[in-house]
Formats: sequence, structure tokens, C-alpha cells
Amino acid sequence: MRLRRGPLRLAAAILGAGAVAPAAAHFQILYMPETALESGGAAHVAMLFTHPAHGGPSMDMGPPEEFYVVSQRGEDAEPVRRDLREHLTPIAWMSQDGKVDAYEARLPRAVMRSLGDYVFVLVPSPYYEAGEDKYIQQLTKTIANVGGVPGNWAEPVGLAAEILPLDKPYANWTGGLFRGVVLSNGEPVPHAELEVEYMNHPPDLDAHALAAEGQITYPQSSFATMSIRANERGEFAIGLPRAGWWGICALGVGPDTEHEGKELSQDAVLWIQVKDMQ
Amino acid sequence: MQRSAAFAAAGVLLLAGAANAHSPICNCYDNGDGTITCEGGFSDGSSAEGVPIRVVDARERVLVNGQMDAAGTFSFDKPDGDFHVVFDAGQGHAVTIYSADIEE
Repeated sequence: MRLRRGPLRLAAAILGAGAVAPAAAHFQILYMPETALESGGAAHVAMLFTHPAHGGPSMDMGPPEEFYVVSQRGEDAEPVRRDLREHLTPIAWMSQDGKVDAYEARLPRAVMRSLGDYVFVLVPSPYYEAGEDKYIQQLTKTIANVGGVPGNWAEPVGLAAEILPLDKPYANWTGGLFRGVVLSNGEPVPHAELEVEYMNHPPDLDAHALAAEGQITYPQSSFATMSIRANERGEFAIGLPRAGWWGICALGVGPDTEHEGKELSQDAVLWIQVKDMQ
Repeated sequence: MQRSAAFAAAGVLLLAGAANAHSPICNCYDNGDGTITCEGGFSDGSSAEGVPIRVVDARERVLVNGQMDAAGTFSFDKPDGDFHVVFDAGQGHAVTIYSADIEE
């Protein structure tokens, strides 16, 4: 098991004997308030590296290596890739443990004007986790849709580490099921190790902060970071007991295992949005 | 004979089900150069190629008659005054978009 809790382990050491550090996982956040849009328009996207189950601690992000969207209107249409790096702006994110370096993008209406699917991809620069003396790089996807015309939500974008959805990531009911396949260089990863967390402190894009109060209390740390395994075909399924955002991370499935002479964990992250039936 | 009749009935039911899951969707935007582009699609991801589309003025006069191209789009010169666009997928499956709702 590789629960990454460097900062928390340190915090526990400072607090003294007897303090049990809550297990929590690093997650690259690629967030927009709404992924199932009635019509196209300008979009505001936030990028933050944090522990979503506990609303922190958050970590400094370096300049993203890639930020782009692959859109497609209709299942037989050609996907269109659009580089979005020109829209990236570094911001100071107010975390519960101080300011950290994060990014946002204000996308003009022209980017998401058309009907169809929009697969947003963020490839952050590797993050050095001092507590474990290794780098983490989470290749992250968030998938939005305009108007209800599907396109490429179920197609891989070709990342070295990627979670391929088997259900629409933007159309999930509370109590439903979400399935996916873990890919490494496009090939399924048998028995891949995954971590699943609920976005317990939703982002406020205008305040550049996560909600101060969490929505749920965990009975035990196993419930904060839910560790699951893919099957022999690299497939997994998770239940969705609550509306909001759920992050899914496949650990160390990418082919790159070293960065600047140190160990690198190249992870695949996918965010999905869940809504109550009402 | 009875068996083949049952199969035929099942086939009709399946077709009806597919039609229900196949809602037309249309979106238009102003290109800012005196032209409007409309794009069509269906909720099941199938192509809108060949679907008739017409531009109608406030007095229900048809200004433009056309059909969606291979990419599911149709462009036309922006008419003077109010107009609306009808994306007509047939069988009561028509979507109407009014000029007041068309943005750049």
C-alpha cells in the first residue's frame, strides 16, 4: 500500500505521540462547477493539488506541462484537439494550511460553444513529495458535455496513464454506479490499484479556496480514501452514494518511473460529477 | 408462423424504443460576420447529416431551406429582423431556435 500522507505524517509527528494521521490521498483537481451544460459558453476552470477528502493539506503546483481539450460532437465525428495553455493563469489558492500555488483558466465562449463532449486534460509537472522522496505526476481528465449530444467521452485521449470511462462522467445519479478501465499507454492494467475520494470541501472558484467545512465525517480513515482494485481486465466499478464530485486515481500505472534521478509515480486521475434525483 | 409473427412484433417494439432514445438537439451561434451557423445532433450520438433545416421569418415565410452537412452543421446569411430556425428531424422531432437566443 502506498498511502501518500507525507505532510500529514509530519503533522502527526509534530502533534505528538498518540495522534493518528488520517490517511488521505493526493489528488490533482481539474474543476469546473458544472459538467452537464444546457448550452455552451465561457468556462472557469481551477487546477489545484490537494487532499480532497479532508480539504487539504494542499501542495504547490508547478507550471503545467499540458492543458488541452479534445472535443467531439456526435459519435462518428472527428475529435478536435485544442491547446488551452494560453489561458492558464497562476493563482494563490487559500488552503486551510496557507497559500499554495495553483492555476486557473478562464476559457472564452468560443472554446465550449458547440454541442458535444469536451475531454479536458491536465498534465501537471511532477510534484516532489519530500515525505517519500519521490515525484508524483497525476495525468488528469475532467469531461464535460454541452447540450446532451455525446461524442468522445468513452474514447481514450492517448495519455501514458489514463482512466477510460465506461459510463458518462457528467451524467451520474446519486446511488448509481460508475465504471471505467485503467490504461497504461493505451493497454488495460490488470489489478490496478485505485484510490477514490469524495470532494468533501468543494472549491469556491471566486474565493480561490476550498469550503472550510467538510460535508461528511468519516467513521475511519478507510472511508476517506477508498482503496479498490481493478479486475484482471483493468476494469473497476464504484458506487456513488452522494451528489457532488468524486475523484478516481489509478496509482503508478504510467510507464515513466523516474524523474530527475528519483522515483516517479505516474498516476491517472478522472473526476466525475454526481447529481441527486429530484 | 406464430413464432415469426412474435419476432416481427418484437422488432417493431425495438424500433420504437430506439426512436424514443433519439432526441434531436440543435444549437445556433452568430459568427459575427453576418452569418449564422447551426449545428445539430442526437442524444444517442448519431449524425445529423441530411436532416432538413429551414430559416423562417416572423410571418412564417421560409427564407432558407437546406440540410445539415456531413459535419452536422448548416450556415446561412443572417436575415434582417426576427427569425427562427427549425431543425426538422421528422416524426414530430423538430427543434426551434429563435433569433433572440442566438449569441456570438
